[in-house]
Amino acid sequence: MRIALVVSFSVATLSAQWFNYPTPGIPRTPDGKPNLSAPTPRGLDGKPVLNGIWQMNGKYLQDIAADLKPGEVPYQPWAEQLFNSRRNGAGGRSDPAAKCIPGMPKLDALPYPFKIIESPGMVMMLFEGFTTFRQIFTDGRELPKDPQPTWFGYSTGKWEDDDFVVNTIGIRESTWLDNAGRPHSDALHLIERFRRRDFGHMDIELTIDDPKAYTKSWTVKEDLRLIPDTELLEYVCNENNKDYEHLVGK
Amino acid sequence: MNRIYSYLIFVPVMLQAQWVNYPTAGVPRTADGRPNLSAPAPRTADGKPDFSGLWQPGGGGGSAPVAGGPPLSPEFGDIAAGRKEPLPYRPWALDLRKAREADNGKENPDGKCMPLGMIRMHSHPFPRKMIQVPGLIAILYEKGVDFRQIFTDGRALPKDPNPSFNGYSSGKWEGDTLIVESVGFRDDIWLDGAGNPISESAKVTERFRRPNFGSLEIEVTVDDPKAYTAPWTVMLKQYIALNTDLLEYFCENEKDASHMVGK
Repeated sequence: MRIALVVSFSVATLSAQWFNYPTPGIPRTPDGKPNLSAPTPRGLDGKPVLNGIWQMNGKYLQDIAADLKPGEVPYQPWAEQLFNSRRNGAGGRSDPAAKCIPGMPKLDALPYPFKIIESPGMVMMLFEGFTTFRQIFTDGRELPKDPQPTWFGYSTGKWEDDDFVVNTIGIRESTWLDNAGRPHSDALHLIERFRRRDFGHMDIELTIDDPKAYTKSWTVKEDLRLIPDTELLEYVCNENNKDYEHLVGK
Repeated sequence: MNRIYSYLIFVPVMLQAQWVNYPTAGVPRTADGRPNLSAPAPRTADGKPDFSGLWQPGGGGGSAPVAGGPPLSPEFGDIAAGRKEPLPYRPWALDLRKAREADNGKENPDGKCMPLGMIRMHSHPFPRKMIQVPGLIAILYEKGVDFRQIFTDGRALPKDPNPSFNGYSSGKWEGDTLIVESVGFRDDIWLDGAGNPISESAKVTERFRRPNFGSLEIEVTVDDPKAYTAPWTVMLKQYIALNTDLLEYFCENEKDASHMVGK
């Protein structure tokens, strides 16, 4: 009986926390539910509109190569050695995310929603996880020649048919590709192809081009779903980060 | 001597490589080609002033950041710095501010890599970028790689919002002024370095105006009957920063907090 009470109380608390605001412009079925298999929305220029709140399939955060067969990740020897040394939680302390700093490309794969907002010259990604953002410049600028290494890198985007193609360089080499601990070098060049398949579904085809860490570039496809009728919450990692002291590693 | 001289040369070169130098598009210019900061504010397709741009707190300048950074806005240290009258504190709120001062600011959220909340962020010295799109204004902060959303789609404020540092904000236009109302604040926010508090009952009204291309005025009214006996208002100004962009600032190496003294 007490357990039942506790359970119903938690549910009530949670429902007060989520935002419930009907997203305007969502196609709906006759019963009022969002029709997530409606066609991809398009802008005046005919290109797909990516705006919306999206959530990544959670498996890619744990293992970016979840859909690949064993042996399909073309490691350089040092990268495979480092990966093996980090597996099974060993070395978790050296993941910057353990210190509340997300990095690319893991940022895209967080299990929390993020919002895409297209604006003239720039596409923004606002992330609930870590309450942070990416800027993807679409004003035709070149990638910088010698960018200051950052956790998120420097990104430019352009349309190729129905794909929004984002190139990113300048990512600090200490970020991990996934929680499993796949590494990269300072030569990492990420190519994300955002492809909105229909109203409620999008893929990010992600190519890892890093000749120092991998013998050739390799590609994974991550899938996302639209999260209608809600909003981003505020997520403050530094407030209650009690895991770090318990992680193993250097 | 030679070595010192080399260092002097080397340092400015390094700094230059760190700032993002990219020409800002759409800047009005005077006849001699300089940015015309007193030109009229740009407008969006619906005729409203467009607040989009990269902004820094303070009175003016309009140039790219200089080495060492711009001077601190006095409101960052004390939000009431520009007021003649002291804030209309409730006794407990004044006591709390005094206790925070007596404690040397040891519990200042800034020293713990925590968010500062949207009021104090207005006067934080690092730049912020405002992006105005239909239904929404997003503010992207260099400090903490943080963001805030101001909904402009006419939605009502939530009745029982989850308390947060930035609150929940909804804005509407009155002429050329955007009036933003926000609720849902945490009660451990510091409005400034002095430790002026707000409570969960706070309702904050901001009046955004862009009187010309180069400047932004934000009049902030804090209506917090639990902490203050009357609503109070401050003016926080910002100026445009050209030909640069946000850098990435994570508070990633905070080793001071545990060494600070206090009670």
